[in-house]
Amino acid sequence: MSHPAKDGRRVTDISSSAEAGGPFAWRQLVSLPQSFADRRRLFLVAMTIPAVIYVIAIGIVPLARGIWYSFFDYNLLRPARAHFVGLGNYLDLFSDPDMAEALKNTVLFTVSGVTFQLVLGLAIALALWRDDRFNRICLTLILIPVTITPLVVGLIFKGLLLADYGLVGYYLAQWGLSAPQGLLASPSTALGTLVFIDVWEWTPLMALILLAGLKALPGDVLEAAAADGATPLQRLRLVVLPLMLPSVMLALTIRTVDAFRVFDSVFVTTGGGPGNATNTLMVYAVKEGLSFFNVGKASAIANIALLCTAVIAAAFVLLIRRADKKANGR
Amino acid sequence: MTSTRSKLRKIAATTVMVLSMSGIAAAADKPLEGVTLNVASMNDPFASVLATLAPKFKEETGATVKVDILDYGSLLTKTTADYVGHTAGYDVITMDIVWAGQYAQNGYSVDLTDLIKRDAKELNVDDIYPALMSSIGGYHGKQVAFPFAGYANVLAYRKDLFASAGLKVPETMEELVEDAHKLTDPSKKIYGFVANGQKGPAVAQDWMQYNAEMGGSILGPDGKPAINSPANIKSLTVYAELFQKAAPPGAADYDWGGREESFRQGLAATMQTWSVGAPGYYDPKTSKIIDKVAIALPPRGKGLPKVYGIGGWGLSINKDASDKQKEAAWTFIKWLVSAKVHKELNLLGAGSFLRKSEMVDADLKAKFPFLPLVAEVFDNGDGEYRPRIPEYPEIQDILGTAVNSVLVGHSDPKAALDQAQAAAIKLF
Repeated sequence: MSHPAKDGRRVTDISSSAEAGGPFAWRQLVSLPQSFADRRRLFLVAMTIPAVIYVIAIGIVPLARGIWYSFFDYNLLRPARAHFVGLGNYLDLFSDPDMAEALKNTVLFTVSGVTFQLVLGLAIALALWRDDRFNRICLTLILIPVTITPLVVGLIFKGLLLADYGLVGYYLAQWGLSAPQGLLASPSTALGTLVFIDVWEWTPLMALILLAGLKALPGDVLEAAAADGATPLQRLRLVVLPLMLPSVMLALTIRTVDAFRVFDSVFVTTGGGPGNATNTLMVYAVKEGLSFFNVGKASAIANIALLCTAVIAAAFVLLIRRADKKANGR
Repeated sequence: MTSTRSKLRKIAATTVMVLSMSGIAAAADKPLEGVTLNVASMNDPFASVLATLAPKFKEETGATVKVDILDYGSLLTKTTADYVGHTAGYDVITMDIVWAGQYAQNGYSVDLTDLIKRDAKELNVDDIYPALMSSIGGYHGKQVAFPFAGYANVLAYRKDLFASAGLKVPETMEELVEDAHKLTDPSKKIYGFVANGQKGPAVAQDWMQYNAEMGGSILGPDGKPAINSPANIKSLTVYAELFQKAAPPGAADYDWGGREESFRQGLAATMQTWSVGAPGYYDPKTSKIIDKVAIALPPRGKGLPKVYGIGGWGLSINKDASDKQKEAAWTFIKWLVSAKVHKELNLLGAGSFLRKSEMVDADLKAKFPFLPLVAEVFDNGDGEYRPRIPEYPEIQDILGTAVNSVLVGHSDPKAALDQAQAAAIKLF
């Protein structure tokens, strides 16, 4: 409870200088709170106004409009036919086979992609744990994929994997390692290939976050474990992993939420095809919204995706809190 | 001193007079001085030519023309946003043949009917192919765009492969299918046929072309979708077999670029395409088949009337633009489609034919020997095989997914088209 006392002192200082420096006339004209604590509160509230306006304009208003539009059959190309349909768009989506496939693909993509990234990322983080020059150089090089725009990554892989001219795809098809039409054009391998591309690009980020977690581990605990004769595997399982749980959870949250709203790499490589084999929620929403200007349906899809993301994020935040408490022994 | 001063005064007065007179003359010469026209152009070969010719228009009229070159998706998205938001960001917009229904229904662009009537003589309308006039921009009595770039569907084929197999150029679809299977030899990397297979507009547009040639139709006689008609199911079955047995293995993922590239690289013996791509086959920098390629009329199913697919782009004027901008835009359109400028446009490689006089022009014929075929296609042009209705984009997407899933062996033609029909009928 030392803060209020500190704050109180500071406020007193400011006010005394203000009183000394200015006449009282303005305060008589505008009725402002008299107590310094109140004035300070008013000042702090005033300072947040720009941020609040920004959040309202950029976040809340579009979100609210998105929810509002989702209750309408509203197509920009046929504005005259717009009408209120209540939950109609949502009900249609529940019985829409395209939506079911998009949701299934999104979940499959997210779960498999993030799992691979976690396992590989952890392995890389452990390998780069020791702080020496070689590891620092490796880390820098490993981070290159993260710096490339996903859209460009998609285009590069698409070029590489083309069955007829692709530098890789040609040989894969020749040697029978892919379907003749190529990995991305075959319904059985397209989603797996997209997962591979995502793992290639984002594993380094996972490794980086986990490495930061590893480096922050208390050295004394590890030393104590080593002194008690714990084998490296025991140290990893019983000391390192439990202590690292908060950073693992953080990395998982970031990547899961990100993977769930995957769009650009899918859009440029397969466009959701072949058939609907790689259609994801965001690709579906963007197609409805920006190709067909079907604002109502697109908003409904985006809201469902948002809800899923929010639930995932909330679950992870809860887990992080729990893991944090456990790790700190509280 | 006085005389010098008065002389100076006279000189000054004369100079001012001359300058102001020349200013008036300039204003009369350049009626659009100070006007800036914003053009949204599809990224087709004509786009860069438009940008090249823009300074010439400024020289003649004074108006600055800014050409924004966009890919198909961006063009549709940006211009629709411009129309719906009434922001008048663009004055002149290139309109795809299939957007006419949407434009007409929503009143996006100026109806040019009266302007065309007013300036018929200047436009020399009789010189423009009626099929282009009615299908590029013409819709239910309105003219929502002025035809600018007419594309003819043609069959590009490998004369060397046909000659060595002892085959003649196919005239019917049945012959084309048979020849494609015969000419396919995967061990030599030669395939009888290539078309777009990629999900979305690419596969939908190519299939609609073949489907019309095999006697199918997307809409029924009542104007409502009839996607799962027996004729369409049959044509898709044949088409899928062509893809699976006679097309390069990667074709299921080709869009226009991939398709043209595979043909230029010598992988395919036949390909139906737009006339606008034809000059590329004769370019040694990009093509391996320069002396092996020939162009022919597209085949038609046995017994079907001899009509051929046409496509292309029109120029529309944004209805939200100010009257002054609209008038300037119309002047620009008239200038572009005038016989003289349009010929120049084509000499510069726009591949955008429009006028009957272009087909007999010696300079153009020397450069583009396939022009008589284009003329024949325009004379018997069918711009309706892709239904130009307001619901076209959605129907195209529904077909794009259905046909693609059949081509990759994910579903069978009937099931896919039944599902597509169920989805399409909801739009009406």
